[in-house]
Amino acid sequence: MARPTILVADDDPIFVVSVVSVLGTRYDVRTAANGTEALAAVDDDPPDLIILDVMMDHMSEGFDVARVLRRDDATALIPIIILTGVDRVYNLRMEVDESWVPADQFFEKPISPEALLREVGRLIGPGEEKS
Amino acid sequence: MDGKETAGPSSQIRVPAGPRSGLRNGDEPDRFSFLFSWELHERLLWFSKLRWIAAAGLALASVLGPFFSMPSTRPSLAVVAALVAVYNLVFIYVLRSRLGPEKDYVALKGVAILQMVTDLAALFVTVHFTGGCASPVLPFVVFHMAIGTIMIETRIMYVLAFAVCGVAVSLFALEHLVVLAQYSTVAGGQPSVGSCILSTFMLIGLVFGVVYLTDSVTSRFKARNIELHQTTTDLRRALDEQAQLERRKSHYMRISAHQLRSPLGTIKTSIQVLLDGYLDPGSPEGHRLLAGTASRVDSLLAIVNDLLELAKMREGRARAPWARNVSINQILADIFDAVDPYAREANVELVPHFINEGAAVLDWAVPPDLVYAFENLIHNAIKYSKPDGGTVTVALGLDRSHAMVVVADEGIGIPADLKDNVFLEFVRAPNAKHAEAEGTGLGLSIVREAAQMHGGKVSLESAEGVGTTVTVVLPLHHVPPEIIEG
Repeated sequence: MARPTILVADDDPIFVVSVVSVLGTRYDVRTAANGTEALAAVDDDPPDLIILDVMMDHMSEGFDVARVLRRDDATALIPIIILTGVDRVYNLRMEVDESWVPADQFFEKPISPEALLREVGRLIGPGEEKS
Repeated sequence: MDGKETAGPSSQIRVPAGPRSGLRNGDEPDRFSFLFSWELHERLLWFSKLRWIAAAGLALASVLGPFFSMPSTRPSLAVVAALVAVYNLVFIYVLRSRLGPEKDYVALKGVAILQMVTDLAALFVTVHFTGGCASPVLPFVVFHMAIGTIMIETRIMYVLAFAVCGVAVSLFALEHLVVLAQYSTVAGGQPSVGSCILSTFMLIGLVFGVVYLTDSVTSRFKARNIELHQTTTDLRRALDEQAQLERRKSHYMRISAHQLRSPLGTIKTSIQVLLDGYLDPGSPEGHRLLAGTASRVDSLLAIVNDLLELAKMREGRARAPWARNVSINQILADIFDAVDPYAREANVELVPHFINEGAAVLDWAVPPDLVYAFENLIHNAIKYSKPDGGTVTVALGLDRSHAMVVVADEGIGIPADLKDNVFLEFVRAPNAKHAEAEGTGLGLSIVREAAQMHGGKVSLESAEGVGTTVTVVLPLHHVPPEIIEG
């Protein structure tokens, strides 16, 4: 059985290495360096879960990508986790332009690998260890 | 006289002063009196001058007594005139020699009360000798009370008012009961011509005196209102500027904290991943993660160094190591030597170009800050050159009053929508981040700060995909305020 796929979009390549090394133990992971690449990757092959950094090429790019995905019927149901290093999560919720933040979960950097795996497991299942 | 100025954030709050408003440096209004100390002193001296006129009038009346049908009062009026002259001399001596404008306010008020009491006593004696309840001098009692209310506390004036009424009623009663002699200016049931003329002049004097007095009071009120309004406006503006500065400071701190926090988040996550065993540090991916983490530490250090440099330029100008006769030629030559290996590695040709002959020497400069700024410019020009290399030209121009340093590259350029903001802290164009992940976003801020502290300015031209040209113009003979003040 194919492992669930996760798309990780973050402009920090070192952070991406960390996240891929954690999630790669149970899931197939693809990466994107910015919002444009992320949307293209979802168009090509929709993943089971998307992890978006908030700030990539510009402020709140992660939110913009999430809104685009939610408005498209083909991708509206894909779970989204948003990563932020800007502020504590509750401040971030208060400061976005629209009151509706289209994410299933927020994580504040630095992330705990265990907590990330637990949340991903809750959203798309435990995955499968690499054989 | 000058207004007191209190330095605000970037503007000055002016506490206006002037003879019309009455405010002087350090003045504080008294709770009970309209006048400040020096104003009271001035007023008391002015009334002393009026008192001479009164004494002269009394002396004249004593001479012309028969004309006013008051022959029997001539000696009395002469005595009153003499007494008024004597106590006026005493008051003038006390005010000029013993009590200057800055002296004890309580003592000045005491003198004012004593003057009122003596003037009123002289007035009532004159009223008695010039017709009692029909005396043309009586309205001057009212005039004196009005003057007194300006100078003296209201509660004391009320006490004096009671006393004045009591004295007046007693005087008229005693005259009517013939306990005191009556001295009338009316002869044969009709006021004398002299008495009418005297009354007319008294009325004219009183009318103009009241108008003048009221005007001198209200004009001060008006002037103080205007100045108060101006002060309030200045204060509001200063408070707004202060609030704006605080907001900018908070924003700057927030942005700086985020810029420091971001690499720290990556570092912590990477270390946790390695500690939790998700990656073997000895594996190629593990090594890549460790190398990347070390690079993030370097980024943090670079950000901190640049922040410190900016802070030093902005806050420590007075303690900056200003040096005389600093050669821009030498600074650039030293920087070329330092960045040459980096340029070779990036396949970039560094081309120095000196437009004019002669050395560009600044009368005053802080060499470390100029080195930091120019090195930043040249380093960035190399960093953001295209992947296949290119040319970075560093030109130095010179005229009689200015030196101009131009750094031009053929690199990735800056997007048009960001050109206005590139001098702000932590602004990095997306294409810059793609070309080179490492960068603090503070380089151009530092260049601008260095140029400004040397009395100069910096400008930028750029086209995305073509290249960027940064021009720094520095006056040769700028003397920094810190040197002038020092």
